[in-house]
Amino acid sequence: MEYAVETFSLTKIFSGWWGRGKVYAVDELNLQIRYNEVFGLLGPNGSGKTTALKMLLGLLFPTKGRALCLGGDGADPKINARIGFLPEESYLYKYLSARETLDFYGRLFALPTKVRRMRTEALLEMVGLKAVANRAVGTFSKGMARRIGLAQALINDPDLLILDEPTTGLDPIGTRQIKDLILKLAQRGKTILLCSHLLADVEDVCDRIAILYGGRIQTQGQVKDLLQQSNKRQITTDAISDAAVEKIKRIVHDERADCVVTSPMDKLETFFIKTVEAAQQQAQPTSGAVSTTQIGGFLAKEVPVENILDKLISAPVSAESSPGSETTEPVVPAESSGPQPDEQLLSRLAEPTKPTEPKGVVSEEEAGTESVEPESGREQESPKSILESLTDRPKTEHEDKEQTGDNQGEPGNA
Amino acid sequence: MHSIWAVAANTIKQALRMKIAAAFIILLMVLLPVMSVLMTGDGTLKGRLQSFVSYGLSLTSFLLCLLTIIISIYSVTTDIEQRQIYTVITKPIRRSHFLLGKLLGVILLDVGLLVLFAGIIYAITICIPVFLGKVLGVILLGEASLVLFGAIIYAITIHVRFLWKALGVTFLSLALLGMVSFLVYKIAIYTPDLTLITESELAEANNEFFTARAGLTPGKVDVGQEVEETYEKLKKTGQIEVFFPGLSARDIRAQLTVQEKLRKRAVPVGRRLVWKFDNVKPTDPNGSLFIRFKYEVSVNPPDMKVYGQWLVGDLRPILYGTKIETPIFRSDRIDGDLVRTFHEIEVPAQVVAKDHYLGVVFINVPLNDTVVIFPLEDGLEVLYKADTFTGNYIRAVLLILFRLIFLASLGILASTFLSFPVAMLLCLVLFVIASFSVFFVGTFDYLSLGVGTLYSYSFKWIIRLLPQFDTYNPNKFLVPGRFIGWFLVGKAAGFMVCIKAFLLFVLALVIFSFREIAKIVV
Ligand SMILES: Nc1ncnc2c1ncn2[C@@H]1O[C@H](COP(=O)(O)OP(=O)(O)O)[C@@H](O)[C@H]1O
Ligand SMILES: [Mg+2]
Repeated sequence: MEYAVETFSLTKIFSGWWGRGKVYAVDELNLQIRYNEVFGLLGPNGSGKTTALKMLLGLLFPTKGRALCLGGDGADPKINARIGFLPEESYLYKYLSARETLDFYGRLFALPTKVRRMRTEALLEMVGLKAVANRAVGTFSKGMARRIGLAQALINDPDLLILDEPTTGLDPIGTRQIKDLILKLAQRGKTILLCSHLLADVEDVCDRIAILYGGRIQTQGQVKDLLQQSNKRQITTDAISDAAVEKIKRIVHDERADCVVTSPMDKLETFFIKTVEAAQQQAQPTSGAVSTTQIGGFLAKEVPVENILDKLISAPVSAESSPGSETTEPVVPAESSGPQPDEQLLSRLAEPTKPTEPKGVVSEEEAGTESVEPESGREQESPKSILESLTDRPKTEHEDKEQTGDNQGEPGNA
Repeated sequence: MHSIWAVAANTIKQALRMKIAAAFIILLMVLLPVMSVLMTGDGTLKGRLQSFVSYGLSLTSFLLCLLTIIISIYSVTTDIEQRQIYTVITKPIRRSHFLLGKLLGVILLDVGLLVLFAGIIYAITICIPVFLGKVLGVILLGEASLVLFGAIIYAITIHVRFLWKALGVTFLSLALLGMVSFLVYKIAIYTPDLTLITESELAEANNEFFTARAGLTPGKVDVGQEVEETYEKLKKTGQIEVFFPGLSARDIRAQLTVQEKLRKRAVPVGRRLVWKFDNVKPTDPNGSLFIRFKYEVSVNPPDMKVYGQWLVGDLRPILYGTKIETPIFRSDRIDGDLVRTFHEIEVPAQVVAKDHYLGVVFINVPLNDTVVIFPLEDGLEVLYKADTFTGNYIRAVLLILFRLIFLASLGILASTFLSFPVAMLLCLVLFVIASFSVFFVGTFDYLSLGVGTLYSYSFKWIIRLLPQFDTYNPNKFLVPGRFIGWFLVGKAAGFMVCIKAFLLFVLALVIFSFREIAKIVV
């Protein structure tokens, strides 16, 4: 059980009628993915990434070899309960609304009603589709469908997350968010297997990668080892004077080395995110996804053994919570934690019925089901803390209700 | 279990929201009320009721069968073809549970629709004697209530998430339904009748349609010995070849058996024929029994009528001289009865003995000039009310439900290894064969006399495996007001659901669990 995913000479041969056109989609694949590792499976189109994943999950049967997921068979329901899977394209039931879709998948995991509702709402918020949650997903754009697909893979808070080209069709914010999500989940001890041909995605997040071509692994190893140019050094400074630059140049020359000095460019990704977020702050209307860079409450929660420090780190508003965590810092621009309320949260406050619904539910549930208690208690923290930190608004009825919900909840916890 | 329900609910939503079911629902909603007005049968009240119920139920059953086939196949094959199944089956759900969920969803939808439409047909049937002639009233009430019914069902199923909305619509619809019914009732009361229902028509409808009469036919007579004797005698005298040229011994015996049996049911002039029934249990001891008979004659009488005398009751006191405890009913058919048509004699149920014994005697009075024969199949029957129309109707609807359950399993089986169009074709063909199994068996038996083995090992086998929808056709019972026994219902359930549907489903599970879900065959 030392590997989260392990394959032994996994081979898949597709053959047409009468053995015409044999395709070695996956050929003698030996993968070993450790627990708590972010593993990237890279490769050009048709190199067998998807086929390998399908065999891991029992959607295809290997021609030869064996695959183990979390120490068991990937088709076993017990193992499936701990896996999240996002297929190549988001295959969704067109006639279900976004909320119903997540609810349906939640039911498949036999999540208790209250937990299911809460996670559904948290995920909708996270993928920025709360405003269109009642629209049929058949009417969604590709990227929006992708977001639901992602939410669907996360509804069980999986130990092993398998993502097949997660960023196709997503806008840069969505892409960035997925990357952050992956890092956040990795921090929480989850294992992630990521397939992609987009190198930028993989580079940012993966611990280890394997490059697949023609169904065979060509190369694999630590990203750092593979990419580090050990014959070059880079120094990044604040805006220093030209004189200082000259000094440095001289030192480098003394070392008999060359040196180039430029101002670093903003990455287009960062620029794009800033622009869109500015628009969102002005509450410009959109029928698309409303992006946030938050990560769903229950996904950010820590494993119970960890201490208060970790809890602080995992709080949803990252800028406020952890200056030390390099992963989330660049993503959340300073404004979003500032005095102006987020557009989404405003709309939540303005709408009387919605915010109260999950809250009431939480308190009941805490009194009722045992196993769910610790989870739900923490899950509830996140929306509330956002509310408090982002609004100067005096307490309304709903917030009062929310408080009583909490109070009722406490004795249940004790 | 959770996952089964989730899949079932999703299947129902799919059927309703993809508007597959909607087309069928609307069609029935429009056709049923129209039929209630247009179906007049032979013009009598009974005829009208019979034709409405039989056509209405047939249509409903047919459309629901089609719907079941379509939905069960569509819902599994699209999941596979559009690959939603990738995300479903990789969740903690067994493949068997996935299919069970699909089956359950289709069956639940069927139950819902069947209850709805059977309810509508029942309501209209009950209303016809009240509103007949007030055609306008029937149409209005029918249409209005159907539309509102539809609205209720739609609201509940589609907007199930918004419970308050569903409740609101339901409440409004019910209120409207009440108001409309009241109005229509008032209108109907004050409009003059266009068609007058006579008392006798009403009585006939009540006696022969709004009832569930059990029929007792005389027990089978064993004539094996007589047949053997005759056969041997003919053989000895060498007459076999004269009477049955070129027939096999088996066929000759079969013919002799029929002859012998008919002889037992033939009454020469001046003689009598006695039938004994052992298990007569009328529900109402103060009600009536009916002796239903049909005469066949050896020589046609000039007026085509037979004059018989009938005695009904406990005849043992007369035969064995015991104490008389129950009255004996006597009927002299002085007006005569036409030959080759059915007649009924109404007899008070009190004539049945305490131990449920009943004797029936026919006396061929000398007035006749011919031997009277009672045909083997339907020459004589004792009918008595065994249940109410409502009870019978419910069992009839159950018979239809079993059919649907079978078809749902069949559809799911077909879609585990076939694509939508192919699976549809296969299921439709099998559905047609099952619906006309008697016809098919008969025809093919006749046509394939030469190619016996091939036929009996292939086609006949398939027909055997299919359920016989026509033998369990509820109309066969509802139209003549015959009792559908729980035994029959149990048999249908056993054969169609517990054995055949179950086997199909098990086969589907086996195929599905060995199937590569993500395998794409072009
Ligand atoms: N069902 C199938 N039948 C035949 N060939 C297939 C099938 N599925 C995939 N392949 C082939 O296997 C190879 C690998 O495909 P895939 O795993 O989807 O690649 P990718 O790395 O882009 O995900 C491709 O050449 C593809 O054509
Ligand atoms: Mg792929």
